[in-house]
Amino acid sequence: MSPVVCCAPPGDPARRRDGAGLSQVGAIAANTFRETIRDRVLMVIVVFALVMILGALWLGSISLGQEGRMMKDFGLLAVTGFGLIVTVFIAASLVRKEVEKRTVFVLFSKPVSRGAFIVGKFLGLSLTAAAVLAGMGLFLFALVWAIEGRPSGMVLAATALVYLQVETVMAVTILFSTVASAILSAVLGLCVFVAGQLSDNVLSLTRLGHNAVTEAASWVVFVVVPNLTAVDVKAAAVGEQAPDWGSVALWAAYLVAYIVVALALAVAVFRRREV
Amino acid sequence: MGGWLRRLAAVLVVLACAGGVVAYQATRPPKAASDPRVFVPSPRFFLDASPAFRTAVADAYYLLMVQYYGEHVKTDMRFDSLPQMAELVTTLSPHFTRAYLFAAFALIDAGRPDVSYELLQRGWRANPGDWRFPAYAGFFVYRYGVGKEKDLVASRWYQRAAAVPGSPDYLPRLAARLAAKGGDREKAVVMWGQAYLAGDKYARRKAVEGLEQILPKEKQARMRALAPLVDTMPRAALESLLAELFRGYVD
Repeated sequence: MSPVVCCAPPGDPARRRDGAGLSQVGAIAANTFRETIRDRVLMVIVVFALVMILGALWLGSISLGQEGRMMKDFGLLAVTGFGLIVTVFIAASLVRKEVEKRTVFVLFSKPVSRGAFIVGKFLGLSLTAAAVLAGMGLFLFALVWAIEGRPSGMVLAATALVYLQVETVMAVTILFSTVASAILSAVLGLCVFVAGQLSDNVLSLTRLGHNAVTEAASWVVFVVVPNLTAVDVKAAAVGEQAPDWGSVALWAAYLVAYIVVALALAVAVFRRREV
Repeated sequence: MGGWLRRLAAVLVVLACAGGVVAYQATRPPKAASDPRVFVPSPRFFLDASPAFRTAVADAYYLLMVQYYGEHVKTDMRFDSLPQMAELVTTLSPHFTRAYLFAAFALIDAGRPDVSYELLQRGWRANPGDWRFPAYAGFFVYRYGVGKEKDLVASRWYQRAAAVPGSPDYLPRLAARLAAKGGDREKAVVMWGQAYLAGDKYARRKAVEGLEQILPKEKQARMRALAPLVDTMPRAALESLLAELFRGYVD
C-alpha cells in the first residue's frame, strides 16, 4: 500500500488562503516549547548546576588558585556540551516523532503548511534551547562572580554565541531528520558540530595544491560546513584574546543566514516527502 | 517461607559483595609512582583540531601538570615530561601566567633551570605587562646562572621588571645592588637613584646605604661618580640625596 500524501501541494490555494502563516508558526512553536519543556529538559540546568558546584569545590583544591579561570573554561565547555546534546537529540526526533506517531495527520488535516510546521518546530525548540542555555549561562555567571569577586560579562557573551552555534546545528539536524532516522540525524548533527570546529583546517587543505580534486572537494566541504569557530569567544572569556566584535557580528549574521538556508532546504525536502 | 529465604540469601550476597568492595578499596596497597615519561601531544595538534577549546585543553593539561609534579616530587623526583607539558599549556594559552610561573619553579626541581629561563622569557614576550616574568628571570639568572656576567644580566632583568607600572618598589634596589656587584658602578649609581625616588623612607635609606658601599670616599671622586644622577633625577630629590651622602663632609 502506498503511503498517503496527507496534505495538499504547496501551490494549493487551500494552503495559502488563510494568510495566517505567522500565527500558525507561533502556535506550533508554543506547542513545541511546551512539549519539550514538559520532557523535563530543564533538569539539565539542575544537573549542570550540581556539576559546576562540585567542580568548583574540587578545582579549588587542585588548581593552585585558578578556580575562576577553570570555572569559566570548563563551565563554558559544559554549557556547549549540555546545550548541544539537548538540542541535537530533541531536534533529531522532533519531526520524525510526529510522523511516526501519525500526529502530523491531525495537524495537516487543518490548513497548516509544511513550511509553517518545520519553522514552528524550529522556533519552539529554539525557545527551549534559549531557556536551557540562559539558565546555565546565568548560573555560571553567578558562580564565577562569587569565586572571582567580580562579574564577567564575557561569560554571558560566550554563552550567547554558543547558543547561536547550537541553533545552527539544530537547523542542520532538523534538515537531516526530514530524510533520515532520528539516530542517524543526531549523529550527523554532532558530526556537523565537530566539522564546524575544523572549518579553518578544511580551508587550509584547499591551499595545499597537491591535487585539484582534493582542493575542489575541500573547498566544497568548507563552503557547506558551517564555520562555528568564527563566533567562538570562549578564549576571550579567560583573557586569552580580545575579540574582534565587528568580525564576530559578521560571522553571526553568516550563521543566521546559514540557519535560514538549512531550514529552507528542510522545508523543501519535507514538502516533497510522503508521510 | 522459601521466598523469604531466597530474599535473605540475596540480601546477604549483596552485603557480602559490598563489604568485599569496601574492604578491597580500604586495604589495597598505595599506588606506585607512575612512569615519569608520559605522552604529551604536540600543541600544534590541539591548535589545529580544537581551536575553540584550546584554553580548556590548556587548563586540563595544567591540572595534569600540577598532579604530575605533585606525584613525582613525593616519590622519584623525576620530571621527564614536565618541559613538554609546560610548553603545551603555555602554547595553547599564552596568557595563562600562573602556568608559566608554576612550571618555571617546578622545572628547577626537574634540574632544568635553562628551560625555566626560556619559559619565563617566552612568558615575558607574551605578557609584557607582568613584572613577575622579568623579576623571576633575574632571580633565576642570579641563582642558577654561571659566568662573570650573571650579576649584570640579572640586574638588567630586574631593571626591566622595575620599569613595569605597578611593580614593587624593591626591584630598583635589587637591580642596583646586582649591578654594583657585577662591577658596573655607573649603572648601579643610576639605579640606586631610581630606588631613592621610589619615595618611602625605607627605600631612601636602602638607596643611601647602597650608594655608600659603592661610592669612593674622597669628596671629588664621589661627586664625579654621582654625576650621572644629574640627568636622571629631579633636582629636589637629587639635592636631598646629596645632602645625605655628603653629610659627614666639611667644606
